Amino acid sequence: MNGFWVQTLHQAVIAGTPLALAGLGELLAETVGVLNLGVEGMMLIGAVTAYATALVTGNLWIALTAGALAGSLFGLLHAFLTVTLRVNQIAIGLTLVFLGAGLSGYAGQSIAGAPVAQSFETVAIPGFGALPVVGPILFRQDWVVYGAGLLGVAVWVFLRFTATGLNLRATGEDPAAADAAGVPVVAIRYLATIAGGALAGVAGGYFSLAVAHAWADQITGGQGWIALSLVIASNWKPLRLICFSLLFGIVDSLYFSLQALGTDFPSSILAMVPYVFTLVVLAIGIAWRKELGVGPAMLGRPYDREERI
Amino acid sequence: MRLERRAQASRRLGLTVPIVAVLLGLAVGGLVIRLGGTDPLLAYRTLFAAAFGSMEGWQATLTQAAPLMLTGLAVALPARMGLWNIGGEGQLTMGAVAATWVALYEPLPGWLLPVGMLLAAFAAGAVWALIAAVPRGILGLNEIIVTLFLNYIAVDFMGFLVNGPWGDKSAIGFAYSRAIPNRADLPMLAPSLSIGVLIAFAVALVAGWIVNRTPAGMTMRLVGSGTHVSCYLGLPIRRLTAIGFGGSGAIAGLAGAIQLMGVTQRLEPGISSNYGYCGILVAFLAAESITGVVVGAIIYGALIVGGLALQGAGVPFDISLVVQALTILFLVSGQAALRYRIAMGRGAGAAAIARAGR
Repeated sequence: MNGFWVQTLHQAVIAGTPLALAGLGELLAETVGVLNLGVEGMMLIGAVTAYATALVTGNLWIALTAGALAGSLFGLLHAFLTVTLRVNQIAIGLTLVFLGAGLSGYAGQSIAGAPVAQSFETVAIPGFGALPVVGPILFRQDWVVYGAGLLGVAVWVFLRFTATGLNLRATGEDPAAADAAGVPVVAIRYLATIAGGALAGVAGGYFSLAVAHAWADQITGGQGWIALSLVIASNWKPLRLICFSLLFGIVDSLYFSLQALGTDFPSSILAMVPYVFTLVVLAIGIAWRKELGVGPAMLGRPYDREERI
Repeated sequence: MRLERRAQASRRLGLTVPIVAVLLGLAVGGLVIRLGGTDPLLAYRTLFAAAFGSMEGWQATLTQAAPLMLTGLAVALPARMGLWNIGGEGQLTMGAVAATWVALYEPLPGWLLPVGMLLAAFAAGAVWALIAAVPRGILGLNEIIVTLFLNYIAVDFMGFLVNGPWGDKSAIGFAYSRAIPNRADLPMLAPSLSIGVLIAFAVALVAGWIVNRTPAGMTMRLVGSGTHVSCYLGLPIRRLTAIGFGGSGAIAGLAGAIQLMGVTQRLEPGISSNYGYCGILVAFLAAESITGVVVGAIIYGALIVGGLALQGAGVPFDISLVVQALTILFLVSGQAALRYRIAMGRGAGAAAIARAGR
């Protein structure tokens, strides 16, 4: 493999990281039955907060924390409106996209174009980092990249093998039964939605600081929607989501590599790939074994204890 | 302290809540404007004057309202059947693409050209929506997800066309297609208002008539109420789903043609400035009522025109996005206030009474 491909794939892992983070957050929220369409807005608000914090403090970890806080505030707002007030989740999600885009654009005017001097430190994993090809692609990355991968495994273990994880899944599948069994449905929905918002915020921050290396109005340009599509394409399975986000990262970094090479491959066609890919994966999955594209049974439905059917 | 379901909201509450919600949205939005260093009262006066203060303002507002009305209907109609069409953006775009294709490559004679373009947009919107309806009908795939993705595919496809085969070579900066012939333009009602808005009103009238006055409207409601009843009645649910979705897509497609033939005169990336998504919010706030969609589209159109005017006055457009979003958030929370009230203590008995009264 030549340098071009190693470089492109190294970049692909970085580009896939915000998708994985935001996707895992959305996966948590959707698992408990909350469809958060506002990911794009939460990423934007996280991105502008993190970028501004990085400019002021010069510390990228504080910056990502600030991004997480901003995202979790949006998550809290989403949870309050959809879980407590039980308002339609689609309408709220879309509105939060508008709010995030507007607020971040407005707040970020003065920092648009300002460069952040720091960058995330590359850490070579002892042993693996020295491997040819795989080493530079996977094992000479920064801590956020490793963190996103580990988080995927953690979420998988949590949802699949722990009692609390089972409670989360029960909340998304049948909140009434979960409630009857003593599972704190409302608290779980709140926490998962807030965690989803926080992860979207971190994802946005990492995107602006490590992928785009800039803040500009609407910088995330649809990353949140792609994260949403990842959750569905991966059939709400965390490990598959990590794999798919790497795949989409490749599409992203190819986009820039091809442009840098000066080829005239139409970029619009490349931009279509994630969506077409997801639809094809869904169609094949359904035709093959009827398991994909179904999701938590009560996804998008508010739970009202007084309204038992 | 807990939320308790209201038996029924009083009429006075039904009127007060939305008004208070809008005022709250404007107030909090004003706070944000204030933080940005602009006088909020002045900003709102500019906004209102730009949208309604003159004939030009009204023309601009109605021009914005026309596509919003159509995309709003494209959500409200299938919503009555329990279907969520959030693909208005893509259906509108494909409508505009189809109409442009007719104009550039199928030069029909005379008045046949505009008519052919409108029909092409109608058909393209329907086809694009049916791509989502078919997987739902056959495979049970969630239509929300499919319609959402088709939006992006459509917009990227249009981007490919205007950057490549259909592009105007003289375009500098951002890409757009070659202009459609002048005879394809919609007739004008006023200097800057095409008959597109009349088309939108007409579609709304027809939709209202179908929904409220025909057996088909009743059937739609029945399907929307849950498939069990309609199953027992032997209704062809798959076919009805397809018709409902196709029809709503066609309406959104029409919006694309109206934008193309009445406003932009060429295919360009901004041909749908989020009309598809705003239409969802219009339909939602209108609670799926047809009259509500018409009124909501005009108000939303005014917000857009006002936002653009503010931008002209040096206030960033993002501010109007914030005000829009805040107003909607308060309106939506207001709907919750109509459904629930805050009660102290457990109050299970009161809840049971409310349930019985419902």
